[in-house]
Amino acid sequence: MRSDPAEFNLVAPSDLQSALALMTDEGERWMPIAGGTDLMVQYAAGALRARRLMSIAGLAELRRINVAADEIQIGAGSTYTDLRRHETIAHEFPMLAQAAGWVGGIANQNRGTIGGNIVNASPAGDSLPSLLAYGAELILVSLNGERRVPYTTFHTGYKKIQLASNELIRAVCLPRRFIGYVQHARKVGTRNAQAVSKIALAALAQVDGGIVRDVRIALGSVAPVPMRLAETERILTGNLLDDSVVALAAKTAASEVKPIDDIRSTARYRAAVVGNLVVEFLERLRAEPAATEARNEALARWNALSADAAEGEILACCGSRAWARAMAARRPLADESALVGASDEICAGLRDADWLEAFRAHPRVGEKKAEGSASQQSAAWSAQEQSSAAAAGAESKAALAEGNREYERRFGRIFIVCAAGKTSGEILAILQKRLQNDDRSELREAVEQQRQIMQLRLRKWLRA
Amino acid sequence: MTKRGAAKRDISLTVNGEVKTVSAYPMERLLDVLREQLGLTGTKEGCGEGECGACSVFMDGALVDSCLVPVLQAQGSSVVTIEGLAADARARAVQDAFLEYGGAQCGICTPGMILAAVHLLNAKSAPTMDDIREGLAGNLCRCTGYVQILEAVAAAAAKRGAAR
Repeated sequence: MRSDPAEFNLVAPSDLQSALALMTDEGERWMPIAGGTDLMVQYAAGALRARRLMSIAGLAELRRINVAADEIQIGAGSTYTDLRRHETIAHEFPMLAQAAGWVGGIANQNRGTIGGNIVNASPAGDSLPSLLAYGAELILVSLNGERRVPYTTFHTGYKKIQLASNELIRAVCLPRRFIGYVQHARKVGTRNAQAVSKIALAALAQVDGGIVRDVRIALGSVAPVPMRLAETERILTGNLLDDSVVALAAKTAASEVKPIDDIRSTARYRAAVVGNLVVEFLERLRAEPAATEARNEALARWNALSADAAEGEILACCGSRAWARAMAARRPLADESALVGASDEICAGLRDADWLEAFRAHPRVGEKKAEGSASQQSAAWSAQEQSSAAAAGAESKAALAEGNREYERRFGRIFIVCAAGKTSGEILAILQKRLQNDDRSELREAVEQQRQIMQLRLRKWLRA
Repeated sequence: MTKRGAAKRDISLTVNGEVKTVSAYPMERLLDVLREQLGLTGTKEGCGEGECGACSVFMDGALVDSCLVPVLQAQGSSVVTIEGLAADARARAVQDAFLEYGGAQCGICTPGMILAAVHLLNAKSAPTMDDIREGLAGNLCRCTGYVQILEAVAAAAAKRGAAR
């Protein structure tokens, strides 16, 4: 039933200080109302519990957008239309501008505010995944002053937020560090406008030579609060987006979310679509064509070298001299796929001794120096590949060192694993599992790991 | 019984170019004030929750749903309703196109549709069909199936382009 306006009070303080003073008022709280696109809907349904409301729609202090050198501060009272029209937001934070365009129709975008979207705290809030993906911080203000909190922890549960009863969100701050990232936002709903989302995704990544350097994936409507896909991000980081990585990421994403059955969709549908959206994002990353030409040029330079020089240079990708000699003999190679294809063919014909030579060019996992000779480039790549593992604490480093010793006692050679993106815990688990292998199948496993390392390195080499 | 609400108060706003002062509860909807106190019944109520756009008006130039605006928030602003656009050449062109293309049937959505179309054309003189779809996405029609409405807006835009 519709509410009776006689039962409600509404005041309109003329500035932020007066509004904050009202919020410290004894007695019943003054509920802030900005564009009314949520509260007035509750009011229409007779479901608005607050009886004292305070309009903050006209407060100029809340509607400024300031662009500083390192961040943009978006006043919480900025409307979705303000966001869509702002140059810096459109250019550097396109996922936020795009999400603003998802909100209702134009009339709703002219009234609804980003601060309102945050405090309304619906799991389906359109702008929220992008704020999470961009690593937003919020400036909260009360008569006591301001405090700055990370957005990550602002939502503490379904419709629960970390905002004191005397506080307002003054501004949303986004770091200006995503230039050059591929950014991808997608809403899945029954229709584009005026539909609450079944799932919304905001994902961005920095890809360097096909390798994912940094990736942030956030989703709405799949958990009580907007969430990051931490596990999926970890799988992708430091890796090349080959089919197996994409498939693993999709599977992980679908299992990482915590969707529910509700009026708009089912949990099963949501989990499946999350996987699909992640694939769509990764396909877009893979399609980034920009660097192709540079790689072909790098290859043309190598094609023109003397046989000895060509062999010496490519040895950084794999320490087997037989392999390097065969690679140099296959020149000229036209492009990256020809290069990787040639390597795979040569690998198929390598003897065990060649593989053992290749293994010796790697340092032990958790160490820096290889047993055999390794180029500077090879050592630098090893350090990169093992960077996730190197972040481990002393205890797991010790466990890894002990595992390495056991492996070498058992198989008489260094333990080889494609370490890129893997933590020391994961590597340790793999090591322990492989200790159960017999000699022959363990050599095959090590060769496969070496082949994966070589693929990564060949691609990095073209991009060096 | 404790008095929790507010008394009526005088609220002034400009409506279709004229300053009006109404006596209203601050949480009364702008929609109701326009229709019931000012007699401007061209603004319709459809859903009453910001989904259908039948109650669209311009507030300080921006398209808004008047069912979601507490009248106190309109204090001091300039509101334009469909009646206020009667003499506007752009609105007339849209209205003519709606007639020509069969963009109006029962008429409940039509004022809001025309306001949304004019709002779009004010911002974009040569909109694409996607622009038109987006500009009118907040307005629901239960009769036409939308195609005639979209065609009408496209025709009005083209006519204006040709007239230049």
